[in-house]
Amino acid sequence: MKAYKKEVRFTMLMTLAFILVGNAGLFFVLFPTEAMLFGFPVKYIVPILLGWFGVFFLTIVAGRIGNQIDVDIDQENENISVTESKQMKESA
Amino acid sequence: MNGSTWQLSNPMIGVVVVLATFVVFYIVGFVSNRKSSTAKELYVGGSNVGSLVNGLAMASTYMSLATFLGVTALILKLQVPFILLWIQLILAIPLITIIYGTSLRRMGAFSPTHFIRERYGVRASIIAALFMILVSIMYALGQMIGIAITFETLLGIPYMTGLIVGGLIIVGYITVGGMAGATNNAAIQMVIMALMFIVPLGAIMKAVGGTGWYFPPLLYSDMVPTMLEAMPTFFDYQFSPKWYFALITLTIGSLGLPHLAMRVYTASNLKSARSAMVWFAFILGLVFSATYAMGFVGVFATATQGLNISPTDADKLTIILNLVYNPEWVTALVIAGAISAGLSTLSGNLLAIGALLSQDIVATLKPNLSAKANLRVSYFAIFIGGVISILLAIQPPAFLVVSILWAFGLAGVTNAPLIIVGVWWKEANKYGAMFSAAIGGALYIIVSPFVFPSIVLTGHGLTDGIGISGGLLAIPVSFILLIVVSYVTNRMPSLQKKLTKQADIELIERIHGWKDIQNYRYNSTVGAFVTVGICAVIAVWAIMPWHM
Repeated sequence: MKAYKKEVRFTMLMTLAFILVGNAGLFFVLFPTEAMLFGFPVKYIVPILLGWFGVFFLTIVAGRIGNQIDVDIDQENENISVTESKQMKESA
Repeated sequence: MNGSTWQLSNPMIGVVVVLATFVVFYIVGFVSNRKSSTAKELYVGGSNVGSLVNGLAMASTYMSLATFLGVTALILKLQVPFILLWIQLILAIPLITIIYGTSLRRMGAFSPTHFIRERYGVRASIIAALFMILVSIMYALGQMIGIAITFETLLGIPYMTGLIVGGLIIVGYITVGGMAGATNNAAIQMVIMALMFIVPLGAIMKAVGGTGWYFPPLLYSDMVPTMLEAMPTFFDYQFSPKWYFALITLTIGSLGLPHLAMRVYTASNLKSARSAMVWFAFILGLVFSATYAMGFVGVFATATQGLNISPTDADKLTIILNLVYNPEWVTALVIAGAISAGLSTLSGNLLAIGALLSQDIVATLKPNLSAKANLRVSYFAIFIGGVISILLAIQPPAFLVVSILWAFGLAGVTNAPLIIVGVWWKEANKYGAMFSAAIGGALYIIVSPFVFPSIVLTGHGLTDGIGISGGLLAIPVSFILLIVVSYVTNRMPSLQKKLTKQADIELIERIHGWKDIQNYRYNSTVGAFVTVGICAVIAVWAIMPWHM
């Protein structure tokens, strides 16, 4: 149950995070600003930086969590096998 | 700087460079292909590709002539809104990987329609495959226009001759040997593309007075004050929040692209697939950022340096900037890079058409067909798909990116919902899938300006043409139909015998990595109906006025 919940939550939250980071323009069209950053307008450079380094960072996080969830699922599978074999021994 | 015809004055330099790149591709293809012995290996490279090579290949397949030529053209026309449209396209592989790529890799699927056939049956997979062929042809159309423009500039010949000559050379190359070593070639093509785009961009930047030429993708802020003086509206968002929200339809569309998803299955294991997604994000971010810089420099040159580009030449902007500011041999290298970009994506598109027709339609309808005959169908489909895209390119839309982005939307309507819901909800069934793909797809085509020009949602030519308005309506409709029709038909006693409920449940548990079956997993009715509610609100919003 734990690994399943983790998998569903991870996929939903990570999808949302990717969509928000890749669509930062949506934030600046709702909350316009004329501020500047590194010599560029914020509304221009922030979406570009998030669209590159933000997405890159999220892929690292997603990769690590995804690998961990695989381990958790395998662990639960093993627990099920152990419980099943114990039950079979007991009934025998 | 007002060239009536933009072309290389010495075409021989270009021809030699292009021929040299083709020779490299042939050699890599020949060496790589000696190891392929089965059809599956041919399509997914034996599922043993390392993460860096795979990440490069993913980026190469995705980075088409649209990135090389088309994006800069539309930055010239739309300025910053188009950059914001393009940024989110980087999400494709990361989202494919986390939402369904690893599940389909675990299943051993070698195409998205393979999963649809296993999950929803033959009829649904044929409907999906037919739409996917249309998606691939429209995607190939954009590449073909770019190829024609590139050959036009390379040889100084008219567009039509460039289309026939360039198109047939490339379709012939892909039909005869393009499937060979596709992944290794795609990885090499990505390196060539990145170098031949970014290095010349640095030289152009230096020539127009930029001091950040040593890292062109991000270091051009010193040109911003001059740009704002010459063109104060460059950074304006121009459109409403609804337009920016509608861009998410392109993100969903990229999840349904057949030639892109296939790259996830070439990974040697799940860990490697996830590492490939990291490489993909880094490399594509670099190239995309360089593309925005090239667009910025193009607008800068037209606004401050007296460079005059006619609207019909907009798709040539990248090449024109090189012709004006760089030596001819550099432009020849850029043209070779552009042809590499078109070649890698076209081979992905045509390979997908071949696989869809031979594996997903003909082999499904005629399972007794010999392997030799099936292979012939595959080659025939690849060639005919190429020829159709050449014929469509005779009367091209104003910008080559238009047909490509429209294809994204169609993939988002007809393919993405079937895969996403199919992987995450046990109740999804074949009736829901067929209704969803057929009605959603038909709706998307009807509201596009290409079939009934008077039935459109916004009246803004480009917004309707690239399909983001149609997608904002048709994608939620597809999700609603898939969920509601599946839910209702699952409860109709007369249909129980025709459904494969137990097999579907076992498949879903297995592709998520489970060895047992539990009712609580992937079975949320609340989740499904919350999705229906959100989709209904978005669909209603899509048909309300866009005020453009």
